[in-house]
Amino acid sequence: MTATDHETRIPDPIDLDRAEEARLRAAAGLALPITAQGSEYAGFELVGVPDRPLQTEREREMYTLEEGEMLVNMGPQHPSTHGVLRLVIKIRGEVVTDLDPIFGYLHRGIEKLCENATYTTALTYVDPMDYLSSMHNEHAPAIAFEKLYGIRAPRRAEYIRALVVELNRVFSHGLMIGFLALDMGGITPILYAFINRDDVVELLASISGQRMLFNFFRVGGVNWDTNDEFLSRLGKWHTTVMKTVTDNERLITENEIFKGRTKGMGKLTADQAIAYGVTGPNLRASGVPFDVRKAHPYSIYNELEFDVITHSSGDVYARYLQRIAELKQSLHLIDQIMDKMPHGPVQAQVPGIIRPRPGRAYGAVESPRGLYSVYAISDGGPNPFRFRMRDPSFISLQVVPVLMPGHLIADTMAIMASFDPVMGGVDK
Amino acid sequence: MRLLTERFPDVAQDLWTGEDTVEIQVPRDRIVETLQTMRDDPEFAFWMLADAAAVDYGIGQHFEVVYHLYSELHPAWLRIRVRVERADPRTPSVTGLWVGAMFHEREMYDMMGIVFEGNRDLRRIYMSPDYRSFPQRKDFLLPDDAADSSAAGVNPLERPETWDLTNFSRELTSSAATYPPIDAVRDVPPEAYPEAGESADKSRPA
Repeated sequence: MTATDHETRIPDPIDLDRAEEARLRAAAGLALPITAQGSEYAGFELVGVPDRPLQTEREREMYTLEEGEMLVNMGPQHPSTHGVLRLVIKIRGEVVTDLDPIFGYLHRGIEKLCENATYTTALTYVDPMDYLSSMHNEHAPAIAFEKLYGIRAPRRAEYIRALVVELNRVFSHGLMIGFLALDMGGITPILYAFINRDDVVELLASISGQRMLFNFFRVGGVNWDTNDEFLSRLGKWHTTVMKTVTDNERLITENEIFKGRTKGMGKLTADQAIAYGVTGPNLRASGVPFDVRKAHPYSIYNELEFDVITHSSGDVYARYLQRIAELKQSLHLIDQIMDKMPHGPVQAQVPGIIRPRPGRAYGAVESPRGLYSVYAISDGGPNPFRFRMRDPSFISLQVVPVLMPGHLIADTMAIMASFDPVMGGVDK
Repeated sequence: MRLLTERFPDVAQDLWTGEDTVEIQVPRDRIVETLQTMRDDPEFAFWMLADAAAVDYGIGQHFEVVYHLYSELHPAWLRIRVRVERADPRTPSVTGLWVGAMFHEREMYDMMGIVFEGNRDLRRIYMSPDYRSFPQRKDFLLPDDAADSSAAGVNPLERPETWDLTNFSRELTSSAATYPPIDAVRDVPPEAYPEAGESADKSRPA
């Protein structure tokens, strides 16, 4: 090997790939990669800018950079984006000026799957949607299908439904609190939250047979009645749950660092929340007393005593307090349900394949993330003609780009976690 | 109910009530005006847009955009249905009333191909930006259905010649006119449609 060999410039394989890519793109009529110009990074490809002509007004606004601004790509594999969510963040220094959420990485086409399944099997497909509230996912289609078919579940089945749904809400809210603290650097609360969650999913597994995707609801009832194991586990869990919740609360609620990083952060006004379609605890934390359990009582919620809790400030801290309050309220609801649980059958007489008369039905429930609803159309056949699900975290996500500007990069995750999005539900 | 018939004698066609739902149909050009009245009029006060969904009634039929509204004053959900023709799948956007309709409309555009005029961010939301079909339409065949079809049905929307999205409504009408409906070709032996069989082989990996 001689010295001249070193001096001869061997083309960098990356450059070759770039040239090849540019030729292919030109042949396919696509735009060239957008590169930075007039700065020390001239020639570098800009991360995050779509490699195609920008399509909409909003996209042009987002991807047009002013002096001193820069794009940072976050995800889809980033650990704190709550699933496979990709965020393109426009920053000036350390301050976020704009944000574009991009999703669809988990899209499974569940609506289309359900339209090609019978009514009974469609209930099994919705479980993995919002995987932290599978019971709620099954509840709304069950209500819609029962309206279509014109039957009602027996009273005991309705009580068992309300029981499992509230149990599900307890662990979902508990996890949200843990993840919120985790996104701000606190490791311990998530461990407590998972201890509680593990108890509850074992509890639900003992009644439904599965730990995560329960497949418990049926058209016209539920799959199983309560059994001894479930009841004994429930009694044991009930004696300890208040302690785990209070332990977690004592760790977080008065923590100076937590308060400093959440109070006044991501403030969502009531008008904004309504305009953006935010529902559930996030809406109530902004002071709007809307709860589907009160607004359109389903199941047996009109027989239970509970208030619609609200907080007024609408910041991350209020959304955290809202979750704590609703968690405790769910525990009281569980007490009432166990107290009033009637005897009787848990499943109405329904054939295996049902063919409802042609019609339309809308079923809505209050999931831990807000209004979760199903709009089902029957054409008289064995499968739903149209099956539409409205997922609350999908709609809540669109308020995040509005709240972000002006906050630091490190706070983006705190604000997002306070809305508790679950990407399985967002992407359907 | 009574309020609706009094206030919207001409708009509210086909009034229907269900268990906890009141339903009206509104022509496409009056939907924004109707929704605005529903929201701002103190007698209605439907302040929340609970859901916006699109329905495809199949080839030869029409699309429908369905809004669900909520108000404390009334004990029922209000459902407003808007008929959108398949040949001209356009309807005004309601993002001017509820900004939160943005993601609903993006989803409907992505899944059904309905264009919402006035929406400033109408791009695909689940599928990738270079995707060229609308998966929730009834003529979008699943691989299972395609295997059953003797014409190995490649639906018109999946053919490369209809991939130009800028004027897809024109393409849609022309392709619907050119290609027979899927049900009609299903019983015809594959040799009768050699070109359909060939393109199926290319575009659908086994």
